[in-house]
Formats: sequence, C-alpha cells, structure tokens
Amino acid sequence: MNTLKLLSVLLGYPSAELVAAIPELARRLGEDEALQPDTRDALAGLLVELEREDLLDLQERYVAQFDTGRATSLHLFEHVHGDSRDRGQAMVGLMSLYHRAGFVLATSELPDFLPAVLEYLSTRPTQEARDVLDDCAHILRAVGERLLDHRSPYAAVFSALLDLQGEPPLIAGRSDADDCHSLGFSDNDWQETPVEFGPDAAMHGAQQSRGEFIRFVPRQHISRS
Amino acid sequence: MSHFLDRLSYLTQERESYADGHGTLTGEDRTWEDGYRQRWQHDKIVRSTHGVNCTGSCSWKIYVKGGIVTWETQQTDYPRTRPDLPNHEPRGCSRGASYSWYMYSANRVKYPMVRGRLLRAWREARKLMGPVEAWASIVESPEATKAYKSRRGLGGFVRSNWDEVNEIVASANVYTIKRYGPDRVVGFSPIPAMSMVSYAAGSRYLSLIGGVCMSFYDWYCDLPPASPQTWGEQTDVPESADWYNSTYIVAWGSNVPQTRAPDAHFFTEVRYKGAKIVCITPDYAEVSKLGDLWLHPKQGTDAALAMAMGHVILKEFHLERPSAYFRDYARRYTDLPMLVKLAERNGRVVPDRFVRASDFSEKLGQANNPEWKTLAFDERSGKLVVPNGSIGFRWGQADGKWNLEEKEAGGEEIRLRLSLLDVRDDAVAVAFPYFGGIVTENFEHNDQGRDVLVRNVPAKKLQTQAGEILVASVFDLMVANYGIDRGLGGDNVAADYDQNAPYTPAWQECITGVKAADVVTVARQFADNADKTHGKSMVIIGASMNHWYHSDMNYRGIINMLMMCGCVGQSGGGWAHYVGQEKLRPQTGWTALAFALDWSRPPRQQNSTSFFYAHTDQWRYEKLDINEILSPLADPKDFPGSLIDYNVRAERMGWLPSAPQLRTNPIQVVKDARIAGVDPKDYAVKALKEGTLRMSCEDPDNPANFPRNLFVWRSNLLGSSAKGHEYFLKHLLGTCHGLQGRDLGSIGGAKPQEVTWHDEVPEGKLDLLVTIDFRMSTTCLYSDIVLPTATWYEKNDLNTSDMHPFIHPLSAAVDPAWEARSDWEIYKGFAKKFSEVCVGHLGVEKELVLTPLMHDSPGELAQATDVSEWKKGQCDLIPGKTAPAMTVIERDYPNTYKKFTALGPLMAKVGNGGKGIAWNTEHEVKQLGDLNRLVTEAGITLGMPRIESDIDAAEVILMLAPETNGEVAVKAWQALSKVTGREHAHLAHTKEDEKLRFRDLQAQPRKIISSPTWSGIESEKVSYNAGWTNVNELIPWRTLTGRQQFYQDHKWMLGFGEALCVYRPPVDLKTVHPLQGKKGNGNPEVVLNFITPHQKWGIHSTYTDNLMMLTLSRGGPIVWLSEHDARSVGIADNDWIELYNVNGAIATRAVVSQRVKPGMCMMYHAQEKIINTPGSEITGTRGGIHNSVTRIVTKPTHMIGGYAQLSYGFNYYGTIGTNRDEFVLVRKMNKVDWMDEPAAVPTERSPA
Repeated sequence: MNTLKLLSVLLGYPSAELVAAIPELARRLGEDEALQPDTRDALAGLLVELEREDLLDLQERYVAQFDTGRATSLHLFEHVHGDSRDRGQAMVGLMSLYHRAGFVLATSELPDFLPAVLEYLSTRPTQEARDVLDDCAHILRAVGERLLDHRSPYAAVFSALLDLQGEPPLIAGRSDADDCHSLGFSDNDWQETPVEFGPDAAMHGAQQSRGEFIRFVPRQHISRS
Repeated sequence: MSHFLDRLSYLTQERESYADGHGTLTGEDRTWEDGYRQRWQHDKIVRSTHGVNCTGSCSWKIYVKGGIVTWETQQTDYPRTRPDLPNHEPRGCSRGASYSWYMYSANRVKYPMVRGRLLRAWREARKLMGPVEAWASIVESPEATKAYKSRRGLGGFVRSNWDEVNEIVASANVYTIKRYGPDRVVGFSPIPAMSMVSYAAGSRYLSLIGGVCMSFYDWYCDLPPASPQTWGEQTDVPESADWYNSTYIVAWGSNVPQTRAPDAHFFTEVRYKGAKIVCITPDYAEVSKLGDLWLHPKQGTDAALAMAMGHVILKEFHLERPSAYFRDYARRYTDLPMLVKLAERNGRVVPDRFVRASDFSEKLGQANNPEWKTLAFDERSGKLVVPNGSIGFRWGQADGKWNLEEKEAGGEEIRLRLSLLDVRDDAVAVAFPYFGGIVTENFEHNDQGRDVLVRNVPAKKLQTQAGEILVASVFDLMVANYGIDRGLGGDNVAADYDQNAPYTPAWQECITGVKAADVVTVARQFADNADKTHGKSMVIIGASMNHWYHSDMNYRGIINMLMMCGCVGQSGGGWAHYVGQEKLRPQTGWTALAFALDWSRPPRQQNSTSFFYAHTDQWRYEKLDINEILSPLADPKDFPGSLIDYNVRAERMGWLPSAPQLRTNPIQVVKDARIAGVDPKDYAVKALKEGTLRMSCEDPDNPANFPRNLFVWRSNLLGSSAKGHEYFLKHLLGTCHGLQGRDLGSIGGAKPQEVTWHDEVPEGKLDLLVTIDFRMSTTCLYSDIVLPTATWYEKNDLNTSDMHPFIHPLSAAVDPAWEARSDWEIYKGFAKKFSEVCVGHLGVEKELVLTPLMHDSPGELAQATDVSEWKKGQCDLIPGKTAPAMTVIERDYPNTYKKFTALGPLMAKVGNGGKGIAWNTEHEVKQLGDLNRLVTEAGITLGMPRIESDIDAAEVILMLAPETNGEVAVKAWQALSKVTGREHAHLAHTKEDEKLRFRDLQAQPRKIISSPTWSGIESEKVSYNAGWTNVNELIPWRTLTGRQQFYQDHKWMLGFGEALCVYRPPVDLKTVHPLQGKKGNGNPEVVLNFITPHQKWGIHSTYTDNLMMLTLSRGGPIVWLSEHDARSVGIADNDWIELYNVNGAIATRAVVSQRVKPGMCMMYHAQEKIINTPGSEITGTRGGIHNSVTRIVTKPTHMIGGYAQLSYGFNYYGTIGTNRDEFVLVRKMNKVDWMDEPAAVPTERSPA
C-alpha cells in the first residue's frame, strides 16, 4: 500500500532529502488512484509548500506544530492514553506487533509515531492496514481538523488517510482546540476506566481484535455503559 | 429397571460448593485473566528516585518491559529503624507515582533544538569560516543578535543534532573566554543533592574552563541567613524520624502534610505517642488540621509573636523560676555569658561589639588572634577570662583548644557568669532600636511614642588599653531587649503580660491578631516541656517564614526560643527548617568532582541574588531607601548610598564574590603583568588602587561586564525561581516583557554612588542561553538552544536529603528516549568539542581568579573590630584581608576533555577536606584507580583514575566522601581532633571498613556514616539532629564566640538594628500606587499581599505541568483569595482575574476560599506559563508567572563578609531573594484572550 508510505514520508520532519525527492513524490501522487482527486490536489498543495518554502522555516513550523504540545502530536497514544501509565504498556504491544512482522525500530522514535505506524502498515496486507486505520480514524480526524483550523497544509495528509478508509472528509471549524481549556475536557480525558472482571470484561474484547493490549479507542468509549 | 446403566459412575456434572452452598466452582473460560497477567508482567525492576526539585528522596521501583518504562511503585525495603521508632516506609507520593508520564509525554524535549534565526545565521556563517569566527561574526553584529534575541520566548525552534549544537556551544564559550574572559560564562543549577552527578557534570565543565557556578539556596530564598548568623552553619536540621522523638512540636509556617508528604507520617505518628502539636499559619493550611492548637497571626508578623513568647520564657524560666537545665545549657553552649562593650553614640549608651582579648593589656596572654577571642566572667573566681572555643582558637592555634570544655585558655576550669546583676558596678540606661511603631499602609503598628527604647542594664567597668569601659553580658542585654522588668527601674519594661510594652504578649496582640493568652499558654508549655525533657521541644519551620525581607527576625525570634530552652543539639528538639533540603551528605567527596578541585583550586562561585540584581538591572528600579531600614541609633552619614552600593562595597572588600570579576579579561591581566615584569597579584593590586583596573561590579551595564553565556540545567529558572521575571526578559534576554514601571533615570530618583549610570538601558545582555531539560519548560521557551536530557529513569546518579539518612541511586532503567542524553554525557560532549575548537584561539593560559574571604578558612578573620575600605583610602588593599583573595590559575584549554574524564593530580598531592579541616586522600585515589581503571591513552591524564561514565563519577564521590567511606570518616574525625584537642574518631571506628559502592546502593538504600562535615550523627541510639556533636562532643559552633549567638556585633548589624532580635514590619516596596486606578477595565481593584507558598499539585517548586496533578487541581494557573476580599470586588470562584503592579502582571483563575486570611492572596510556586495561561489585559503579552509581579530587594546585612560566621560560602551566606513583602492589585478580567494565533511577525528570510 504505497500511498501509506507516501503519506508517512510527507509527515516526516522536513529535510533536504525530502525536498529533493518532491518531483518524484509528485509523480507518484499523480499516479495514485486510491485517492480522490480533491485529496490529491490538497496533497499536491503540501508538496508545493514543501518545495517552495525555505527549509528552516518549514522545520520551524513543523516543530511548533508537532514537536511540542498535545493537540496535534503525531504520537497516537498521546491521544488515547495521554500521560497515563497505560501508555508504556500500549507501546510495548505495538512494538511486539512490529516484531512479529520482522521489524525493529531503526530510529529513536517511539513506536506510536504516526509516520512509523504508516510505514509499518504500508508493508502489511491491505486488510490489516485498513483495520488498524479504522481503529485510529477518530484520532486522525481530531488531529486533522485541528490542523485544518490552524490552516496547516499537513491537514491534507489526514484527509488522505480518512479518504483511504472511505470516511467523510475533514470539516473546518469543528475542532475541539478551545475545549481543552474547559474543565470538562480534562475531566473526561483523565477519567480512569472502571476495572472489570469476568469473561465479558471489555479488555477481553480488545485482546481478541488485536491479540495484544493495544487499543486506539479513547478510554471513555471502552466502558460498556 | 434400575438406572444403573444411565448413571455415571466415574464422572459427575455436580460442582463442588463451598461457603455453605453460597459459592459453587464453575468451569467457564478464564482466558480473560491473561490480559491482567500480561498487564502486570515486566522484564525487570530498577531502583531509582526523583530529583531535581523534589527533595523527597524516595526509593522507587521502576518497571520495564520491552525497553519501555511501564509504571513505578514505591520501594519498601529501607533498612529498619530502631525498635522504638516507626520505619521510614512508605515513602513516595502522588507526584512521584505520576512521574513516568514525563518520559513519553508530548511535552518532552525530544531533539537538540536551536532557535531558527540563530541557526540560520550560524549555518550561513559556517559555510564561510571556522566555528569560533562564525560565532564572532554573529554576536558582533547588532542586527544579527537582535534578530534572534528579540524572538526569545516566541517559538521558532528547529531540530538540530548533537554535533552541531556542541560546536555552537563550544564556539560561543571559546569566543567569550578569548574576548571577554572565562568569568562571562556562567551556569545555574539548583539543589545538587538531588542528582549530584548531573549537577557535577555542568559545574565540572564550567570550573575547568574558568566559568562561574551560580548559587541557588540563597537565590531561592530557602537559605535562612539566621542560621549562619547564629550557628555558622548553612542549615543543619533533624531528619524527619527525629520528629518522633519530640514531645512538643510547633509547626510554624511549615505545611508538612502538603509539602513533605513522604515524611509526614512521623508527624502524625508522634501525636499518637502523646506529643502536643501547635500549628502557626496565617491561612488554614493543611497542617492546621493536625494541630491541637492553631494560631493564625497576620502574615509577615511572626517575629512579634516569637518575641512575645521569648518574653514569657525568659521571664518565667530564666528569671522567676530558673530552670537548672536551661541555665547550664545557656552558660555552656550560647553566647549569653559573653561580654559586650557599651559605647556612647550621639549622647546615648548603646550595645557595641564583643570585647576581645586584644582590648586588654598583654592581650590577656593571647599571642594568637587575640582580636578574635571573646571574653566572659568566671563565676567562681570572679575573674575576666578567655574561654576556649572562640574563633581565634580555630585558626593558627598550636595547642588544640577550639572546644567547648568549661576551661579558659590557660587550662583552668571555669563556670561562666550569665548575669552581672549581682556583681554590677552600675545599672546603665542603654538604648535599643524599636521598629514596631513604623506606620505602614497594610500592617498594624504599635506606637510607643518613640523609635528608641531606653532600658536599664546591669554593667561592669573594665580597664582596657583604651581606658575604662562599661560592659554588659549578652544575657542582661537580652532580658532588657525583651522588655522584662528586673527591678532596675526605668521605662520600657513590663512587670506583667498585660502591659502594652515591647515585647509582652499584650503588645503583640494588635500587630499579629493572636490573643495574648494563647501566646502565654504556648510559650509556657513549650518551655515547660523542654525543661522536663531536656530539650525535646521542636519548631518545624518553612519557606513562608523565610521569604520576607526581615526573615532574619522571624527566624531569630524562634531560634532564640529554642536556645533559651536548650533544645538545639538535643534529640527530638531544635530547629527544623525544611526548605530546599540542601543536604548533600557526601559533600566533600562531591566538591572535588563537581568543582574540578582535582585539577585547580579555587573554583569560581557566585551568589545568584546579587548577580541577578545587577545583571537583570533590577537595581535600576530600586525604591527601598537605606534610611527606611537603618536603625534609629545609626548615624545615616555612616551608611550612605543605595542597596547596590553596599553590594559593590562588599565585593571590593572581598565579602561577597563577583561575576564577572574584572572589567579586563583576567587572561589579559596576567599577560599585562608579564609584560610589566611583575607578579600578576602585585600588578592587579597596584592597578586596582590606581583605578586602571576596575571591578566589574562598579559598572554592570557596560558591555565589557555583561554575562555572555548562560547554561541552565536541572532547573526552571525563568518559570520558577527568577524573581523579577519581567526584568529578566527585558534586560538579560532583550525580548518582549510585561514590565510596567520606570527606572530611576526616568523618574528622577537618586542614583547609586558606586555604580556607573548609563541612560541607555541595555537589553539582551546574554548572547547565548542554553537550557538542558527533559521537558519544554518556560525556561526552554526563552532559550536559544534547548537540549534533551535523560529523565530520572534514564541515567545513573546519586541522591540524598536532610529528611532521612539514606543515600539513593538514580538508575538508568532504559536508554534515554528520542535523542536525549544524560547531563554527564552532554557536558562531556561540550568538553570534547571545546577542546577541539579552542585550538588556535586558546592554549595553555594563565588567568587571575578573585575569591571572597571564605567561611571555614583563615580568611574569615579579616577585619575584627572595624570596617575599612581600601577604595576610600581607609586601609591598604591586602588580598585575602581587605579585598578578595587573588590566585593565578593555569587553564590547559585544549586538554579540557582529558581533564573532565580523569581524576586529576591534586587529590593525591594536596588532599581533600571541607569545613576547615583537611586530610590525606592518597589511598582513596589508589583504590579509585583500581575500581574505575586507569587512563591508558597517552597525554596529560595517563595513569590517572578514569571518570568516563556517570557511574565512574558516582564512584569518585562515594570513595572520597567520609559519609560513604568509613576509612575516610575516621581520617576526617582525626583531622578535626587536631583542632579541638579532643578525640572524636570513636564516632566512626565501628564503620571503618564500610565502603559504599554504587551497586550497593542499587541493592538497597544505605545509611550514611557520621562525619565532621555535619553537626549530627547517625547511630543506633540517636536520630540525626543538628548541633548534636556540638553539644555532645563539645565541638564549637563555627561562630565568632564558638557558641550559638543571640548577639550579632558586626558594625553593619549594629547599624541596621539587628544586633539583637527585634520585630520589624514588612518593608514598603511601593509597587502598587503608581498603577492604582490607572489601568481601569471597569472592574474594581483590591490591594492584596502576594504570597507564594509551596504547592501540592506540582513537582515541588519547579514543575506544574504534570497533567495528573493538574487534574486534581484546576488545570491551570490559580490564585487563592479570601471570601471577604473576593466579595469586595465582585470576584466569584473560578473567575478569571488579573494581579498586577509595576513589576508586571499575572492572568489567572480565582479560587475563593474561607481558608485564606483577608488581606492576602496566594499563588502557589511555579505554575507554568505553558499551561492554560491566557494573555494579560495589562501587558498585552501572555499571562506571566508568579514572579512576574516580584522584584529582588537585597539587604546589606546579608553582604557582610570576612567576619567569622558572617563570611561568604557558596550557598552558605549572601543576599537572598525575598518576595513576600510584595503587594498587588487584583481585579476581574473582562476578556480572556488565549493568544492562540501565531505571532504576527513576518518570518525573516535569508537572501537567496
């Protein structure tokens, strides 16, 4: 699934190597039939930006957008587990998924870094990639809409991911960025999952689907109530 | 037909039941349980703890799975205590338990980052020239520097890599050293005890290149100067377990259950044993609920309360029904019997200095330091005697008499007389200063009709070389100062507690609001308990008492009570000040590593408060006039100038350190001397006297004297401790700020006398700010280079506390995430690159280092009876006596890396030591070589012990320190015996073979070994308590008299009215009126006192971005207000409000609570600007931090030096950053602007 590899590359830290590869990326994008024309145009816009803008400016913007803060973090578990202790365990699960496919992490990045996840999925059978992305769709949407509201060209990557899943497009002005200042936001975000026992416990279901303790669903969605 | 065939014989479907049929065994699917089994599986458990700014020092289990930290739990394997004492566990609190999130948090610094504009300039320049030249080309261009300095705090970072950042940092350092001097490179890092190897990494690098290490304890205002003043001791306190040995505890301004969570159990446990607890806090703090009695004086007036309690104790337990225990203690362990000269000044008789042996004919037989030996009367013989133990006996004395045996210098047994009442020649009317009548806007005063109180004091006449003088004992002066009627007639004394005369219980009532009857009750119980138990009354005291301008009075008032009752040095008693917990137990092992004493001595160390006061230009806005704080008995002509003038004088006289030191590069000074053909010291002395060489302190706004490079590590300087935050932003950093006030130049104020005034205000003095952190703190936002460091589960280090006697490891459970490196590796990287890029710019250089007159060195005997300034021609410039000491030091710059990674030759050649004693350390160096292996590479370090890794560095500390190496402990005690003439080594003999290694500590926390570095011991019989060895081993306190001092006789102490403890109201900082009613937004304003306590929801005083903790609080900046004040200006709970004054503004939410005392508001420390902080309506910039409304105001008595206990020591004495006298205007905000849009500044583009 080369589209995923392409999107992984585009979400990486802007480098001279990336800029040099833009003509090649543009060509590949033009040939990509998995994406809707609108999505392709939006991605082409990102490519133009990457090609046109000064590299240090691009990097400054990338750092400001992705390297600090939670709202548009590219680490998926930031949006699932936040800073709870479940996060470490979730990363362990994701790493063993990579291991089973014969991969180990080659850089100092964490396993839940979206470009790494996309690269991994690009090597997997289409259905598996779809399943995982399906699980992540709400995160991709939330981050994508925040980027859209920040008028960030990177929103195109998230549009593309949703597009691949046949999800409806991103909608501007709907992001919850302001909500993070409300008390309710952090309360919901930090509510502990009730512990459940027995054969019907929610965790059981999570394991069945992935065979591991990885979940991309926000914890408030997990409780059966 | 039977059912025989249908019936199962061997099988049954029936299930076994149990619990009387209530339960049945079933056989359903149990695979769901695997989820939980896997959930709690782990590969390994590693022992670590949390440092920097959590001083809990708790042992934790860190669980690791697949190379990832999954969770942490409390360790419970501390060594047991004694049978009659509860164990230490469990230690660790909610803050520690939520730490592991930091490691993978979105807020973690992941890559080396550089401000984009700086990096652009650097890369452009680097294409054309070498690294040092490239740095020069940037900082020598005003446009280039403004381009990046003005963007500090406004984002704009890009990722870099270690090679590149190392080169930038090294080049900046090399350039700065070459152009301006090594003392323009400075570094700030706090509380080394909490991760001492990480601290040492930076300080070793700085010390090797001649840079300056900045103090933190005084700067944080955690240092109580009253401690060095009274005891000659920075801060020494009981461990928390000793609370359990107490029978009467006063928690005075200390919120134990909130701020000392892991230790608080001893506090609650001792209540079950029957100890009485009294809590004294203005607000209904957490601790209040644990008290049998809660007193709530007006904030900032505690000294009045303490003085009234002292009045009761002195009167009842020393005069009316004297306690034999108290009197014996006072005679042997305090300066109460010592004699003070009564002098005439402006027609009044006033207490002056201690009389000295040198005042008398034949110097009373004292050839060695007679001017530093104090005197008393012997009760038996009636003779004037020179008791052993005063500081004159400490230095240069051949016969080991620096001890507290009841003997005089000739060896005769003596019994010192406390009062001269029965042997007086006369009762003399002596004048005492009174400050309680000063009228202030926000504090009640008690008008006595005058500011000088004359009281009758019994006195004796003595014949000195200068004629007949009158002397009084400190005891008699104390009784008079406390206003107790002894039947000597005269005014200003009280015969009963209901009289309104200073300092009766009735007198304090209108100032503090505490009922007189409660004062009497507590004082009486406190003393009665101490009398019956021989000193088991304790005061736990905290920052809230120490952050006031006149904190010395708060503290001395309480310390006086403890000394009057013989509590200091007694198990279960004494002074328990827990702020900053700066007890680096293996100190003398650590200093060698940390300050590179193995390569060169002395290092450069600076007191931060004076440094920042000068270099962030807070002095340019000073409005506290000297006359406002001078004693009514002092002659203002003797005390001219403004606060910074006193600091400059102190620096010139060698009292306080300087950074930078000289306007001329100290490397150049040595070169100039060589050209002139004279010794560099002689050259410098002559040039200073002639004025051709100037000290930097005289002109801090001259670019030649700017600090240029600043390293911040293990610290959130700008988000937490930087008092006068907005001044930092404006002057030091040169970026946007919220400062509202105008400087003395623009308001026509009186300018300082000793400092050059520049009308043009410098902005952006710093060329480079490098911050090393694992989280994107407020400080990181303002830095030019941000480097990712290892967290506390990713590095190896050591950790100790004063709260318990154990030494802990921090262990690398996993490798540092992303590109992070440990502090040790980061500074090693700087050292390596520095050694490369300096070639061609710096070689083997010699430079002149100035050092103040140090405490615990012979330098502390500088000017015994007067203050003379060489600058004013009052005396000659003698380095080390009337001016800073001078040393020429060789720096082999290209070998900086080699030196960093090996233990240098001075440890074996010169030895090691601390606190005034020294011992041979050859054996330890040999053993360290065996342990760490020797350097085998050719070069200057060939054959020396390696210090390659952080564990190697930890082993250096453990091997060299007496606290972790029993053999060294024995040597250290023996070294002390030479000075005291008494045998002490028995305290360590049983542990002589004990040598702790890093791996031992990882196996289990280990107890330290007793050493003379500290005044308490660890044994099976007593818990650690300060002053224990003074009392039990008769080792003198490191003060002028060798005793605990009630009386401070330095000329400046007399001048500023603090010879004896008095009540002084908070000072008026004049920060509110210029803005009152001027910045209207339509909402009413209220004036409130601004208080900044330690909190529960942040990691001590540094970090409040732990989302777990924020969730337990309100998730952003909050300020607590009383219901009364909130109602008066229409503020409801959770409203957005603004606090402001001339220093700046804070936007925050209101917490309206009945627990807060009307008239004050509280903002807990260090609520980060990065967490939910909106824009301020006043400043138009983002919110501000708690220090946005503060400014440093220094105090001259803290600048005294070269005078026994009042001598400089790093983090020991010096100016402190007080901030609680501050007032703010508070009002409701109209508009909350989150400032979420990117700042509207066009991105600068480089020419294509």
